[in-house]
Amino acid sequence: MTEPVHASPPTPGRIVVSELTKIFGGKVRAVDRLSFTVEPGSVTGFLGPNGAGKTTTLRMVLGLVRPTAGYATIGGQPYRHLGTPSRFVGAALESSSCHPARTARNHLRIMCVVAGLPEQRADAVLEMVGLRDAAKRKVRGYSMGMRQRLGLAAALLGDPAVLVLDEPANGLDPDGIRWLRGLLRHLANEGRTVLVSSHQLNEVEEVADRVVILNHGKLVQQGSIAELTAGTDRVVVRSPRLDALHAAIAQDGVRIEQVGPDALRVHGLAVEQVGHLSFAAGVELHELTAQRSDLEELFFALTTEAAAETAVQGEPE
Amino acid sequence: MIRLIRAEFLKLRTTQVWFWLLMATIAVSGLLIVAQIAPSDGVRRADQVPDMFASSSTVDIVVFVLGVLAVTTEFRYQTITPAVLQTPSRWAIVTAKMITYAIVGVIYALVAVVTQLAVAVPWLDAKNVDVEFGNGAVQHSIIGVFAVVALYGIVGLGVGALLRNQIVAVVVGLLFLLVLENVTLAIPGVRHAWPYLPNGASAAIINTGDTHVTDGVYLISTAGGVLVLVLWAVIPAIAGAAFTMNRDIT
Amino acid sequence: MSRLIRAEFLKLRTTQVWFWLLLATVALGAAIAIGALAANGVKKEKDVPYIFATSNTAAIVVLVLGVLGITTEYRYQTITPTVLGTPSRWAIVSAKLITFALAGLGYAIACLAVQLAIAVPWLSAKNIDFDLGQPDLRRSLLGLPLVFVLYAALGIGLGALLRNQILTIVLTLVFLLVVQNIIAAIPGIRHAWNYLPAGATTTILYPHDAGGPGDIPPTSVGAAVAILVLWSLLPAVAGATFTMNRDIT
Repeated sequence: MTEPVHASPPTPGRIVVSELTKIFGGKVRAVDRLSFTVEPGSVTGFLGPNGAGKTTTLRMVLGLVRPTAGYATIGGQPYRHLGTPSRFVGAALESSSCHPARTARNHLRIMCVVAGLPEQRADAVLEMVGLRDAAKRKVRGYSMGMRQRLGLAAALLGDPAVLVLDEPANGLDPDGIRWLRGLLRHLANEGRTVLVSSHQLNEVEEVADRVVILNHGKLVQQGSIAELTAGTDRVVVRSPRLDALHAAIAQDGVRIEQVGPDALRVHGLAVEQVGHLSFAAGVELHELTAQRSDLEELFFALTTEAAAETAVQGEPE
Repeated sequence: MIRLIRAEFLKLRTTQVWFWLLMATIAVSGLLIVAQIAPSDGVRRADQVPDMFASSSTVDIVVFVLGVLAVTTEFRYQTITPAVLQTPSRWAIVTAKMITYAIVGVIYALVAVVTQLAVAVPWLDAKNVDVEFGNGAVQHSIIGVFAVVALYGIVGLGVGALLRNQIVAVVVGLLFLLVLENVTLAIPGVRHAWPYLPNGASAAIINTGDTHVTDGVYLISTAGGVLVLVLWAVIPAIAGAAFTMNRDIT
Repeated sequence: MSRLIRAEFLKLRTTQVWFWLLLATVALGAAIAIGALAANGVKKEKDVPYIFATSNTAAIVVLVLGVLGITTEYRYQTITPTVLGTPSRWAIVSAKLITFALAGLGYAIACLAVQLAIAVPWLSAKNIDFDLGQPDLRRSLLGLPLVFVLYAALGIGLGALLRNQILTIVLTLVFLLVVQNIIAAIPGIRHAWNYLPAGATTTILYPHDAGGPGDIPPTSVGAAVAILVLWSLLPAVAGATFTMNRDIT
């Protein structure tokens, strides 16, 4: 697959979601007073367990589902009021929406005509996602990975300033996932707004700058990954003289747990501090590693039942 | 087999189509009865009653569609794959569907007939026309309706298995049953085939009176009608099962 | 809007539906023409219009085309990219109405061409005049394309209103082919005949000494056209306003 085509970045767009609520059938609160912002020039991961309301939220942002309360705008406008929206917002949603008897190229050609784009764009995006050879085959013969890539191609068709992607890595092989990661970073670096919902936490961690975490339709946390995982540093240290080590570093505010016959995990001290204290006490070390709490731990910590009870409303707008 | 049949019923119940088609059945059956009694030249004598009930066989269209959907939906959602994997014998699936949709046919026919009875009996009573349930002709008519509708369900399965595409099967089937057969009746020469077409055979099954249809065209016997309709049900079903379903399911 | 219409034509061209339905329309038209001629119903010049008037049954196929033109989008979920590309439901429905009206016109011309190819030689062999000066014949020949266009639009409208492909087709066909005839038989209600699609179509296409069932005088041709136009547009309006605005989940 080839590198994305360089284009001068179009006008930046910012996604604003404010008090967005959706109640289905008068009873099911799929999304509950959700508020967050997605800034241009960054990749924002949209995370949450199954049924958290991510897809419903995205569909409200795109004007496919009517909110019960609140609103969502892109570039200051609700989706419905955007003229030729596909040139401003590109969306790739989970449901593979293509007529099985149509070829991929024709599917994209149709979108080109609607958006007033030259047909060459269809060929260009197909090339970009690596479907050039399969372009003239009917979609019914496509594998899931190919359909995902077609969905991405459709999102990129209008060279949009804003991208809203629902589980785009689903069904992609490792090569494809790596390519996607590069693509998303590149798009964000060009100043575009990228909102990606995903279950693949390690992927999100690799590519996203910020995350918005949802649970039971409510915002649980939002912020940059760096901020959210800060203060959770832990140090793993191994030594043949565990007791001496323990004595050297034990102090107020520091929690130490034994994680093996010769290893300790230390919470509350930076790796440099542990090294210094051990050195000062003359304790031999065989391993000294800083372990950053990763997104996965944060995610599970935030989305357990207990966390759901005390959901934080996130940073004020 | 019972398990398979119950699964088939569950699949049917989880669509929304069956409900609206049932509503349509009630509406159309009701209208048909009104149309037969209300006009001044409508049903006024007991001997006209058997033919009156014959009209409820129109519900065969609905059951035909349900039969088509039963098979084509599986192709569409590729649920045919897990279904086949669970029961290596593809013939078992076909048989279960046939039994299920024969029963579905009976149920819809029951709804149609009951609707018609509910409207007709009190009305005719007010006009002093007897609905003689003991009368052989009336019984023949009503039983004929049940038989026809049940068989059309299976015809639907066969057509669905043969044509595979939901829309093609429904459109072709409905156009054939509602339009083409009538056109055939209008063309001299060709019209002699009509008694052997599904509607013609159905008419033969339900008919209790004169067998003359139009110039030189006569209905076949009731037994003949049953045989012909069974063949219309079974031949496409077997062809479908043999050719279509036995292709590799990718 | 012209972009949307071009896109709709592209959608139609890039699947095989249009071809098979065109074939069905032409085949049905041919069958009807042959039936009318072979059945010996056409004995005199004034019977000639019936050949084309009865072809309103072939318009059913064009109606199915219209229904499919919108319900297929719901069936394969391509309504999502369609709505994302064009958020205004009105714009979507209008583009489809225009596209399928034009397609209906094309199908009508094809159907008429085949029917004329069959009928004209046959009639001259029977020494029956094919006189275009005859007003009833002119009305049937011009009316048929009009009926096709309006039925295609009706298909779009019903599809927009009901969205479910199978239900729309079954209920529509049952209504047009079965229920309308039943209504024509029920005293009291039957006076609505002229205001049903079948009644309006009959008034437009058939010679006026034929008329509808028995004792119901037809309306004027102008009124019938207006009625059929209303039938073809109101479902589309209702669909674009109500059902199409429902959540697409």
